[in-house]
Amino acid sequence: MQLLSPLRFACGTTARNRLVFGPHATNLGRGRALSERHVAYYRRRAAGGAGIVVTETASVLPNDRPYERAPLAAECGAGWSAIADACHGSGTLVLGALGHSGQQGVSGDGPALWAPSRVSGPVGGEVPVEMDAEDIAATVAAFAAAARLAVRSGLDGVEVDAGPRALVRQFLSGLTNLRDDGYGGRHRARFAHEILGAVRSEVGRHAVVGLRLSCDELAPGGLVPEAAARLAAELAARSGLDYVTVVRGSTFAPDADRPDGHTAPGFASTPARRMRSWLPREVAVCAQGSIVDPETAEGLVTEGTAQLVEMTRAQIADAELGGKLAAGTPERVRPCVLCNAACQVRRPGSPVVSCLADPRSGYETEDPPETAPAARPRDVLVIGGGPAGLEAARVAAAAGHRVRVVEAAQRTGGMLRVAAAGAGRERLALLADWFAAECVRLGVRIDTGHRAGPSDIDARLATGGAVVLCTGGLPGRIDFPVRSGVVVLDAAEALRRGVPAGPVAVHDPVGGPVAVSVAEALAAAGREVTLITPDHQAGARLAHTGDQAAASARLARAGVTVVRRSRPHAAGDGVVAVTHVYAGGTSEVRADVLVDCGFRLPADELWRGPRLGFTRAGDAVAPRGVYEAVLDGRRAALDLDDAEVAG
Amino acid sequence: MTVAGRYSHLFRPLRVGPVTVANRVVFGAHRTDFAEDGLPSARHTAYYAARARGGAGLVITEAHATHPTDGHHERLVQGYRPEVLRGYRAITESVHRAGVPVLVQLAHIVVPAAAPYVRRPAWAASPVADPVARTVPKAVERHEISAIIDGYARAAELSVEGGFDGVELQCAHPSIVAAFLSPATNRRDDRYGGPLANRARLLLELIGEVRGRIGPARVLGVRLCGDELLDGGSTLADAVELARVLQATGKVDYLGTALGTAATRHVSQASMHIPAGYALHLANAVRRAVDLPVIGEGRFTDPLQADRALADGHCDLVSVVRGQIADPEFAAKARAGFPEAIRGCLSCNQGCVPGVGGPSGEGRLACAENPRVGRESEPDPAPAAASAIQGGRPGSGRWPRRARVAAPGPRPRDVLVAGAGPAGLQAAIAAARAGHRVRVCEAADAAGGQVRLAAAAPGRAEFGELVRNQLAECRRRGVVVDYGTAVDAGLVRLAAPDVLVVATGARPERPAWAGGLRRVVDVRDVLSGAVRPSGSVLVVDGLGFHEATGAAEFLAERGCSVEIVTPAPLVGRELAGTLDLEGWSIRAAARGIAETCEHRVTGAVAEGTGGPVAVSLEHEPTGTGATRTVDWMVCALPQAPRDELYRRLRSPGGPAVRVLRAGDCVAPRRVDAAVADGERIGGRL
Repeated sequence: MQLLSPLRFACGTTARNRLVFGPHATNLGRGRALSERHVAYYRRRAAGGAGIVVTETASVLPNDRPYERAPLAAECGAGWSAIADACHGSGTLVLGALGHSGQQGVSGDGPALWAPSRVSGPVGGEVPVEMDAEDIAATVAAFAAAARLAVRSGLDGVEVDAGPRALVRQFLSGLTNLRDDGYGGRHRARFAHEILGAVRSEVGRHAVVGLRLSCDELAPGGLVPEAAARLAAELAARSGLDYVTVVRGSTFAPDADRPDGHTAPGFASTPARRMRSWLPREVAVCAQGSIVDPETAEGLVTEGTAQLVEMTRAQIADAELGGKLAAGTPERVRPCVLCNAACQVRRPGSPVVSCLADPRSGYETEDPPETAPAARPRDVLVIGGGPAGLEAARVAAAAGHRVRVVEAAQRTGGMLRVAAAGAGRERLALLADWFAAECVRLGVRIDTGHRAGPSDIDARLATGGAVVLCTGGLPGRIDFPVRSGVVVLDAAEALRRGVPAGPVAVHDPVGGPVAVSVAEALAAAGREVTLITPDHQAGARLAHTGDQAAASARLARAGVTVVRRSRPHAAGDGVVAVTHVYAGGTSEVRADVLVDCGFRLPADELWRGPRLGFTRAGDAVAPRGVYEAVLDGRRAALDLDDAEVAG
Repeated sequence: MTVAGRYSHLFRPLRVGPVTVANRVVFGAHRTDFAEDGLPSARHTAYYAARARGGAGLVITEAHATHPTDGHHERLVQGYRPEVLRGYRAITESVHRAGVPVLVQLAHIVVPAAAPYVRRPAWAASPVADPVARTVPKAVERHEISAIIDGYARAAELSVEGGFDGVELQCAHPSIVAAFLSPATNRRDDRYGGPLANRARLLLELIGEVRGRIGPARVLGVRLCGDELLDGGSTLADAVELARVLQATGKVDYLGTALGTAATRHVSQASMHIPAGYALHLANAVRRAVDLPVIGEGRFTDPLQADRALADGHCDLVSVVRGQIADPEFAAKARAGFPEAIRGCLSCNQGCVPGVGGPSGEGRLACAENPRVGRESEPDPAPAAASAIQGGRPGSGRWPRRARVAAPGPRPRDVLVAGAGPAGLQAAIAAARAGHRVRVCEAADAAGGQVRLAAAAPGRAEFGELVRNQLAECRRRGVVVDYGTAVDAGLVRLAAPDVLVVATGARPERPAWAGGLRRVVDVRDVLSGAVRPSGSVLVVDGLGFHEATGAAEFLAERGCSVEIVTPAPLVGRELAGTLDLEGWSIRAAARGIAETCEHRVTGAVAEGTGGPVAVSLEHEPTGTGATRTVDWMVCALPQAPRDELYRRLRSPGGPAVRVLRAGDCVAPRRVDAAVADGERIGGRL
């Protein structure tokens, strides 16, 4: 694969391949320093085959703290050194991303935010203070100092952030730079020039200097690919850039560089082509944005569009992406499903980056490796072939146990396949396919269409085997009266089998991705749909995946009526009656069908308490999400050895 | 008037089990997010000690976890780990030094343990989803019930070893005990589910075990939920019955009374829209059923209210949490006869909502009025506040001076502050505290700036207390405030201060689409009374906080027909962080205020610029246009800094004086940022 061929940068440094693990928020830090968790996280990707690791963007000045654990360059020296040591052993280059978020930060209990002009973000955005000449000089100097520290700490170079959340972009854009001095108007690029020039002179000719540039701000009047490419060419000519990473997004679309599955992948190629056509040949183009399939990445490289490809989320999902491609086993790559459920961590509470396909991501220092040979192989019966059961089976089989999965349905995958029927969630099926294929490869016996009973459990335990109960969940209770004239279905049934004729009400007490996807899928099929939510807005829990505003917009475009702050209290005769959660008044929603997307109950009728060799995992313990199911399943498999020792 | 005359009940000692509290003011349990690596921090110690020195009768720490499955937030004290002892001893020693008993609250919180800090299923009585965490917990099995009890018992042992005078068991939402107690969340069919006697079994077992571990010489309190406000949930009748059962055990020393659940935090931590003492009926009912001391709760911000609650027999002790966050010397000032010196809590919730916290971005507890919260362990840049208090002399008219004067600081300077809004007054206070001579000049005839306007919105009057509090502190510290005096270069030359702090605030910025239309006005014009819109009004919410919703309510109360339009997916979206969104939703529905979301204003025209306004809107997601014709439009949009003075004085040829700025004239922000700015600037001259 050309993706795996080396690349020599203009500065003379060579990357062993084109696969980049790009900068992203991880919350792995300690205070504002990089931590041993960062080291382990990056080490695993380097060992797994990444050609270049770009570390989490570090703020160059302490007045910038876009999120609590955002690294601060001045505190990153030791961490950068440790990461460089950890990755260089695998032949991986390490670059330090440097940035300042300007008006997109949080001023906290410190002084006001800095910005080129007094332009605030969307509603609720803080009004920043316009930077004066001193502030500008201080920022340029801070970029230079940070770059010096990065290279002195052993990094191979730096990447300057002018992406969707960057002060440098705010200067470049006419949307946020309204200045009339030497840094505005025709001189909007001066700030970037000064920074790149100062950085280059600090790091010397032989270090890699890259620029992460938003080439499409996705807002009227903002940067567009053509203009951005021309700008990059100028910057490259003056400051000796080695590469430009082509990203998109802005103050008005801050998460556009890493959308979830509702945005079709492939948006990266057009602006990358534009960039390629403007940049001198010796400056590499790095393509970025929902590139998760190796064939896409290879295509971008072979057609000459990009010399580097950022596959960040793909390598969060499978740290060994590069290694598996090099081994000629691309089918073994654990797919990123573009859900943003666990890896989008730039939010309150500072959760650690992780992945529902691989919950060890981000927890490298805490969780044991996925596979460790079993001390004594056992016969393991896994009841249920959903994500918990398949992960338990996969990990157990990889450890050398003899595993049989019994699945009542005709096909494995459980709720992954059900959820994949929802709009924008199709890629969840890839994960189900991957689990099944890995189980087959590892010799797991899968019996579908077979419902296990107590005797199966007893038989397996009696012969010293182990049983993992992964029977998933059941529809929850409907806590209001339902009379004839309204058919009530739960979300899983609706997604599996479709919905009878007539107007549909979708009840969403959860606020997650399920109800929105059900409503969208039904509306796309031409149905009249009303979404009923107790929350102030539809999909109230989608903020952290970055899909909330987009979901609301899609529902509006699809013609879905949203009834907010309401709860059904009765259904019948073609009407769902709802109560206003706060005001108490009632109203009616026309519906022949009510799809309940409420909380589920554990399907635990086979559970009889913990016994030696008998455990349960996933929704059968408590109905939660895929992440928890996979983690539970993996732990159940890894615990088989302990249970045996205990016996 | 004598002290006893003013507060006949508040300062009477009371026996609570084995200890005696000197007065009835309790600093009740509340989340701080001060823990570091799961352990109590120096921040905790200094924070609790400040309230003990400030006169609280009893301090109860925040909830400490009793079991590793409880990781409901990241900065939780893990009370089950022996490593807590060092921090425990630091807390108890420093609180005891002030002669105040201190309890630790123990809790096994069930809720958002789907949170990434635990990565294990949350434990609960039954698989009933928590309305806030929105995840289904695991129904605990028999051996896990034993683990819960062991966790509490072990944590109680550590508490005693660490020097606490006892423990309070958190049995209100969202503890696992409440999950068992409430019929809404307990659907078990074993000995722990069904009738109250069964639902209370876990609690009774806990009490037995904990009392066994702590012995008779320590306090054991129980914080009950008086009413879950939940269909099918625990009611006041349940609480009363349970209180009797608890008294009958002979092992419980006092009872607390919480209201609501995590789903109704807007009631448990009510903002200023809900009157003080709103939860006293719970304490009252419980108190009438038992002989144990009962703690009353519910937004007590004034010692007189607290005394009244005692006098009326509602409760034996009063929990004053936010009142003592805002002013650690709440009790001491009341006792000494200077209640007017108390920096009264505004109940603005801009800093003290659990999990939201202040502007640090770390979720740490803060206070819009008191920038020292959570920094009690750090040296005060304006150091006089760090020293101890002398006894008050009632009748002297002044809250006593400090026992120790500040360590000799820099040379006292003459400081001139331009603007008596929250930033200017705070800068003045901080500067005066550091020993400087301060004069504030305000162009208007009253202090407070925008705070005064904000306080004019319905239900927001208490916000204005901020100005009163700041002015009172200015007076105590000898700050001179001149009204009707605008600062200009001439005045600066004449006054010749060493330092000028510009705090001239912000001004509304007229949107481009408004042109010269007379009936397009700013929120400020409405709240100040400069214009009196009538008929139909369209309010534009471009800020998401109280500005638009407050003006809308103001106009609706006056009989206008009001609609709010916002480009955001939600009107008042920022109100969620102060627990005001629920109340707003209720009042908006009651007053018929319409909400139109995801729409931006694209244009406005009027006949002859003075008539009704024809507004064009665009639904952003679809690009669909809409129109309205209204009598008035009121804008709540980002403001512009009034920084002309600052710029003029900094430009070449200006007076030779050090010029600093604070508050909205730097960048228009919220009041907490203004106060923080003022404190920072004024404290470092």
